[in-house]
Amino acid sequence: MERKALQRLHLTSLPGITFVRNDARVFKFCRSKCHKNFKMKRNPRKLAWTKSFRKAHGKEMTVDSTLSFAARRNVPVRYNRELVATTLKAMKRVSEIRARRERVFYKNRMQGNRQKQCEADRKLVEENQHLLPPAEREVAKELLEKEKEDMEVEGEEERMEEEEKVEKKVKGAKVKRRQRLLVGQGPEDMDVDD
Amino acid sequence: MVNCIDNSGAAIVECVKVLRMKRHAKVGDRIIVVVQKQRSFGPESGPGGSVSISAANNVRRGDIRHAVVVRTAKKTQRPDGSVVKFDDNACVLINKGGEPIGSRLNGIVGSELRDKQWSKILSLAPMHL
Repeated sequence: MERKALQRLHLTSLPGITFVRNDARVFKFCRSKCHKNFKMKRNPRKLAWTKSFRKAHGKEMTVDSTLSFAARRNVPVRYNRELVATTLKAMKRVSEIRARRERVFYKNRMQGNRQKQCEADRKLVEENQHLLPPAEREVAKELLEKEKEDMEVEGEEERMEEEEKVEKKVKGAKVKRRQRLLVGQGPEDMDVDD
Repeated sequence: MVNCIDNSGAAIVECVKVLRMKRHAKVGDRIIVVVQKQRSFGPESGPGGSVSISAANNVRRGDIRHAVVVRTAKKTQRPDGSVVKFDDNACVLINKGGEPIGSRLNGIVGSELRDKQWSKILSLAPMHL
């Protein structure tokens, strides 16, 4: 879903409206959403859904040799059947390669996510100790401290593993025990008729 | 009220009749206009009095002339299906024979002029789309 100021391939007539400003700047809108935003004088670089935003913020590949193939050439070429056939083949191949490169780009961009998520989870567990049932609290504390010691020694996988264990324990312990806080002694189980 | 984009002396003209058709004028249609506002010449006027573009060409307020529409703010369709619209309405003054009165055009014009055989105007235009 793009909105760009294009002066593009003449062969493909895209649907949508072409707006010609008096200074001869041409704007092509693919659909009325883009058109209406333009009329509101919004800056496309600030709208998160536009292509120009994504390129400006590095969400999409901007420098690549495959992108330079679709350029307007102002020299008309004499029709040649073989040329057309090879061009079509080349177009297909180029778009294949570009799709593959874009996937790699995306993968690279999303790479740190798993680690970030684990960090966030660990932080969550640390901060919310009071939410855990008391028995689990000791276990969680131990694990967290152990992790801190092992951080320099062991690798990432171990850490993540332990984190998941803690989470499982936290999730598993759903049994609520009625408790009463005694002064100086902490929680004490009450006698409950179940 | 249409902008006049040539250097014939008129700045804004008012369309009073669309010739030869019972609909609104589009790019490349001939209309009859009345000059509403004159264009004041900046760089062309001499230090003393105002030197008009040329006595024959100068168009005064209230003159009735023919004109050709070159830009419409209304969307027009192209034969390939694309839709084009410009920023404003604009025209070029012509004489009865179909020749533009001014000698220069200012601004972009629509390519429909080519189909309607206004090649003189098209050639004078700095840009067309």
